[in-house]
Amino acid sequence: MKFRKANLKYLIAVIGLLFSLHQKSYADGFPLRPGRLLLNPSVTYFFANKGWDSLRILRPFPANGQFTSTTFTLSAEYGISRRWSVVAMLPYVSNTYQQTGYSSSTRGLTDLETGIRYYLANINYIYYFMLQGTVITPMYVNNPGLGYGLTGAELKLSFAGSGHLFGANDYFTIEDGIRQYFGTQGPWQDRYSATFGLSLDHKFQNQISVSFGGFYSVSDFKKFNVNPALDKNFAFNQVSLSYGHSFSKEFSVFVSAGTFVSGRNTGDGSNVSLSLILRPFK
Amino acid sequence: MLMLFLPLMSASLARAQAKKPAATESDVSTEVVAHDGDAIFSSQVSFTFSVKNRLDAEQSGTLSYLVTTEKGERVAEKRVNVNIGAYANKDVDFDIPALAPGFYKINFMINVSDYDDTTIRAFGIRPKEIQSQYARPADFDEFWQKAKDDLAKVKPNFKLTPVPKKSTSDRNVFEIQMQSLDNYTIRGWLTVPKTKNPHRKFAVLLGLPGYQVDLDPIVGSDDDLAIITLNTRGQGTSRGPIDTRRDEFISYKLEDKDRYVMRGVIMDCVRAIDFVYSQPNLIHDNILVSGGSMGGYLALAVAGVDKRVNLCSAQNPILCDIRGLVNEVDWPITSIKKYVATQPGLTLEKALSNLDYYDGKNFAQNINCSTLVGIGLLDPFAPPNNEYATFNLIPGKKKIMVFKNLGHEISGKYKEWEGRWMRDTFALF
Repeated sequence: MKFRKANLKYLIAVIGLLFSLHQKSYADGFPLRPGRLLLNPSVTYFFANKGWDSLRILRPFPANGQFTSTTFTLSAEYGISRRWSVVAMLPYVSNTYQQTGYSSSTRGLTDLETGIRYYLANINYIYYFMLQGTVITPMYVNNPGLGYGLTGAELKLSFAGSGHLFGANDYFTIEDGIRQYFGTQGPWQDRYSATFGLSLDHKFQNQISVSFGGFYSVSDFKKFNVNPALDKNFAFNQVSLSYGHSFSKEFSVFVSAGTFVSGRNTGDGSNVSLSLILRPFK
Repeated sequence: MLMLFLPLMSASLARAQAKKPAATESDVSTEVVAHDGDAIFSSQVSFTFSVKNRLDAEQSGTLSYLVTTEKGERVAEKRVNVNIGAYANKDVDFDIPALAPGFYKINFMINVSDYDDTTIRAFGIRPKEIQSQYARPADFDEFWQKAKDDLAKVKPNFKLTPVPKKSTSDRNVFEIQMQSLDNYTIRGWLTVPKTKNPHRKFAVLLGLPGYQVDLDPIVGSDDDLAIITLNTRGQGTSRGPIDTRRDEFISYKLEDKDRYVMRGVIMDCVRAIDFVYSQPNLIHDNILVSGGSMGGYLALAVAGVDKRVNLCSAQNPILCDIRGLVNEVDWPITSIKKYVATQPGLTLEKALSNLDYYDGKNFAQNINCSTLVGIGLLDPFAPPNNEYATFNLIPGKKKIMVFKNLGHEISGKYKEWEGRWMRDTFALF
C-alpha cells in the first residue's frame, strides 16, 4: 500500500527563484516534516538593457547600457514541529553595469533573510495555508550597489494545494507578502506570486511549472536605477517557466527562465536559474 | 487500496432483477439521482427517477417508489402513470413526505409495457440526531479495566522473526508472536521499510482483521510507515485452541460475558499496541488503527479501551448498536440466535445483555482520538442507523464518510482521505 505523500515540498521550492534578483523569499506553501532540513543552493543570471520609466514607457538604457547580475543564493528550511519551521536565505551577488565609456561593478553578500513559518490550516489535507514572518538584515555597510542597506520585515501568507489534472498530478501555490523596510525612504512592498505545476510522471521525477508574480513597491524615493534591486518606487510583473528533475528523494535539480512582462520605474530584464534541492537527512 | 476485510457476501444490492425479458437494460434504462450528493437530507427528501426508452415502441405503465425503514416497515409510497414515447426520455421528480430522523430504504420501480425493474437506494434524514435507544452497562468501564488488568498479568514474550522469503526490495517482513489474554498465542506480521539510517523510526499502521480473515503481511511501497497486520485469536495464523466453524466464531462462548471470544480478541489488539511500545524503531505516539467490518469494530473497540491509539479508522464496523440490529439484519443476528438455540439456559436477551459489553457504540463514547468512519447506506451487516448511532457518541474529533450506493464496503476515496489525514496528523509531509 502507499499513502500518497505531499512531497511536492521538494519539487516546488524552486519557485522562490521567481524573484531571484529581488532578494527572493524562500517561497513554498506546504509544511515541512519535523526534523527535516531542506537546502536550496541556486545561481541566477539576470540581464537587462532597457527599462520602464515612471510613465511605464520602455526605453533602452542610455549609451548602450546593460546591467548584468549573477546571484548565488543558499536557502534553507528546517522543520521544528508539525506546524513550525524556520527558514533562512543568504544571497551573494555580483553586479555589473556597462555603458559606452563607463563601467562599474559591485559584489558581496546582500540581505540575509531569516524567518519562521507557521502551518495555519488545511482543507481536506489537500489545500494548505501557511503564514511566514521574516526579518531582513543587510550583510553589508555603506554599499548602495548591494541593496537598500535597511532592516526590514515581511509577513507572507501562502495558499497551496495539489490534485489531478488530465491524469497528471498538479499543484499550485499562491503567495502574497507585505514587506516594510525601516528607515528613511524605506519602501513598503507587496510581493505576490502564483505558480502552477504539473508532474510529468507518477513518481514526481519530472515536473514543469509556470509562474506569474510581481512586486509593487512604494517609497518617497522615486529615482530610477538600472539595478532593479535598488529601485524603491516601482512595480513589475514577471513570468517564468521551470523544469525540475528528481534524481532521488534527496536530490533534485531545477532550471528556470523568466522575463519581466510589464513594469514602472524599473529595469526590463530576463533571467535564467539553476537550483538544487537537497535533503541531507532523511 | 488497502482492504483489510473481505465483504461477507456480495453486497451489490443496488439493482434488482428485470422481470420481463423482452426488453433489456440497453433498450430501457433508468437512473435515480438523489437531490443531495450523499443522499443525506436535512428536511425535504427528493429524487429524480429518469427513464430512457431506446425502443421503437411507446412504453406505458407506472413509475413508483416505496420507502421502508431499515426493518422493512412501509412508511411512504407513490405511483405515477407514464407514457414514454419511442426513443424518448422521461424524468419524474419524487418528493418524499416528511419523515423522522434516520435512514430509510427506498425502492424505485418501473413497470412499463416491455420492462420491469427495481432500483434500490437508501437515504438519511438529519442523521446527526440519531441516538441509540439502548443504555450502556453501568459497569462497562470496570469490565474492560478488569480485562486489561488480566492481560497485564500475562507476560507478552514478544517474538519477532524475520521472514526473508516474504521481504521485498524495500521492506523487511517479520512474523510477530506474542502471548495475550488467557496466555493465548497470537501472531501477526510487521513490515518495515528498509533504511540505511539505523536510528530511523516509523509511524505505525495497525491493521485489524475482518471476520475470519487471515491477514498476510502488507508490503506496499510506503517508506514512512511500519505496517502491522494482526491475526487475532481464532483467525488465520492465530487459530490455535479457538478453531471454530466460520459462522460459529461470532457467538463463541457468548453465554458468559467474561469468556466471550471478543474479550480476548479485543485484548489481542491491546497486546498489539503493547508490542508497538516495545519496539524502539516504532514511533509510539503515531499509531493508526484501521480495519473494515469486524476490523472496523475492533478499531473502535481498541481505541475505546486503549488511549495509546492516536488515530482510529473504522470502515463499516459491525456489532454497532447491537440490540438495534435484531430484526434489522440477517448476519450476525442469525448466527447468534442459532447459538442461543443450542445452549441450554441461554436466551436471546441474556446473549444481548452480554453483548452490551461488546457493543461498538459503548466503546465509541470512550474514544478521544481523532476518528474516521466509513459507511455504506446499503450495508446489510452494518446498517447506517446503527453506524450513526455509534458515530454520534464519539466525543473526540471525528469525520464520517458516507457512500450512498455501496453496501458492506467503502470506496478508494476513503483510503485516499485516510492517508492524507494520517500523514498530516503524524507530520509525514
